[in-house]
Amino acid sequence: MNKILAIAKREFASYFHSWIGVLTGVMFLLISGVFFVVLVLNYVKISMNPQQFGLSNFSGISQTQFVFGSFFTNLNVLLLFMVPILTMRSFAEERRQETLEILFTYPLSDFEIVIGKQLGIIWFFEVLMLPLLGYMAVFYWIGGQFDWGPTLLGFLGFWFLGMAYLAAGVFISTLTKHPVVSALGTFSILVLFWIFEWVAGITDGIWGRIFSELSPLDHYKNFSVGILSLQDLVYFLFFFFYFLFLTLRSIETRHWKTS
Amino acid sequence: MSASHSDSLIRFESISKKYGNFQALQNVSFEIREGEIVGFLGPNGAGKTTALRILAGFFPPSSGRVFIRGLDLFKYPHEAKRALGYLPESVNLYPDMKVGEYLRFVAKLKGVPSREQKLHVQNKMELCGLTEVERRLIGRLSKGYRQRVGIAQALISEPSVLVLDEPTTGLDPQQITQIRELIRAIGHHRAVILSTHILPEVSMLCNRVLMIHQGKILASGTVGELEAFLKDREVIHMMIKERAHMEIALRLLRSFPGIEDLKATETSRKEISISFETTCDEDLRLKISKLLVENDISLIEIQRVPLTLEDIFLGLLKQGKFAQRSGGHV
Ligand SMILES: Nc1ncnc2c1ncn2[C@@H]1O[C@H](COP(=O)(O)OP(=O)(O)OP(=O)(O)O)[C@@H](O)[C@H]1O
Ligand SMILES: [Mg+2]
Repeated sequence: MNKILAIAKREFASYFHSWIGVLTGVMFLLISGVFFVVLVLNYVKISMNPQQFGLSNFSGISQTQFVFGSFFTNLNVLLLFMVPILTMRSFAEERRQETLEILFTYPLSDFEIVIGKQLGIIWFFEVLMLPLLGYMAVFYWIGGQFDWGPTLLGFLGFWFLGMAYLAAGVFISTLTKHPVVSALGTFSILVLFWIFEWVAGITDGIWGRIFSELSPLDHYKNFSVGILSLQDLVYFLFFFFYFLFLTLRSIETRHWKTS
Repeated sequence: MSASHSDSLIRFESISKKYGNFQALQNVSFEIREGEIVGFLGPNGAGKTTALRILAGFFPPSSGRVFIRGLDLFKYPHEAKRALGYLPESVNLYPDMKVGEYLRFVAKLKGVPSREQKLHVQNKMELCGLTEVERRLIGRLSKGYRQRVGIAQALISEPSVLVLDEPTTGLDPQQITQIRELIRAIGHHRAVILSTHILPEVSMLCNRVLMIHQGKILASGTVGELEAFLKDREVIHMMIKERAHMEIALRLLRSFPGIEDLKATETSRKEISISFETTCDEDLRLKISKLLVENDISLIEIQRVPLTLEDIFLGLLKQGKFAQRSGGHV
């Protein structure tokens, strides 16, 4: 356990040592902040004069739904760009710098290495999420009416979605020694998953169902409307551990040209 | 503890390694005992790095077994690797970490108890002369200092087996001397194997040599045996005036017993330079010059040069002869 934590800590710290990590963090803060402010202002504008926007009865729209529902939907798009950047360095960069060679000769199991790295990345992702809690506080403070269930579940869903995406990104990162290739690959995979939701939306019958079941976004949606179902939890856990397993397998083979 | 398992700290048992179709190691076996510093000698591409990577547990062999202190490295990697310190050929460390921070990280990974970590790392930094760069970023260190950090990380947790892949390559002469002294100092009570293609380094540092070529062990012996064997070999350089005589001269030379590695090149002054090795105890120069003169070949120069160790070794490796001869010597 100490070893896993040591690896996680190093991975976590490495984000603060690289301009890419810091830049990603700053961009995430900026963009999510802009989303939040725009959504709140929009809400205020509409609520002052609902008729103008063709809404006769505004009370039907919940504040939480309007602000945080759309907020997390926007952040999901942001994840598509952020996750490839956060994960591209995990293994690809180590392979490029050939720093794994020494690591593999220590009394460590591959599992400890992979879990440690994954954990460090998740920590950084969580640090990025902290300000989101701040937005909730701001919202509460400016007198927003909170529907705690959907907000917190939306938060949890976003966390699960992030974990799943990060696991996929780390796996892709083991396949190459070029961080940029890793980032592009991860982005492609995530976009593919993104398309599942769209396909599910325009397909009927069994295929629609299959794509919907496979789509991370469809599973995420339940969280954002305040439904916590076992199915969605199992889906995200399976997604996460499946990619973790693939990462382990990929590390085990070590068919890498190191010279 | 080691005695109860086996006398040798390192046992390499019929190791073969294939990269795809390419056979990088072929049935390599050796043992190394406590207190021995063994030089692993071979030209580029001989398979040194491959063997040492297997020994360090970086990847498994295609066949064969490795024992560290009597423990099968690939059956009990966790336990066996605890006794192992490894310096890779190119020392790549996390450039964004500070020296002290990195070594404490290594101490954690190697399972040094947390109470002892600080002192342990301090000791290793002193031993390797790193105390004054403790707070410097590894990425900003000179090559020599990075090498020392590499050695320091190998030494963490007091491994009884040290595997050093070309520890002095790429350093300036002063650094080389320092690193060699360091290796000599840490070599006691351990089994050390270091790869190199510098022969003098072997005589300076090691008490035993393993010679490897094209994935096979050519010879193994003490440094004394190696030096004794190398002593009576020499090279003769000669120059002849005319190009037209080259063929005849070469044919005549080939008729001498004990002449090897015959080479002829044209110099910039259109003269022909011929060189070859000889193992004869007697001086061949008189016989050769007489014979050439008898054949109307204008010999303008002939001299004896003691072989550099590199020459001999590479020549031997090319012909794969050390194995047979050393058999007679040992
Ligand atoms: N990952 C790899 N994949 C394929 N072939 C490899 C790989 N690593 C090494 N080889 C080949 O195996 C042979 C032995 O390589 P190795 O690096 O072990 O040699 P070496 O003795 O360490 O040489 P040097 O003195 O140059 O370091 C070489 O021909 C090399 O090209
Ligand atoms: Mg090598």
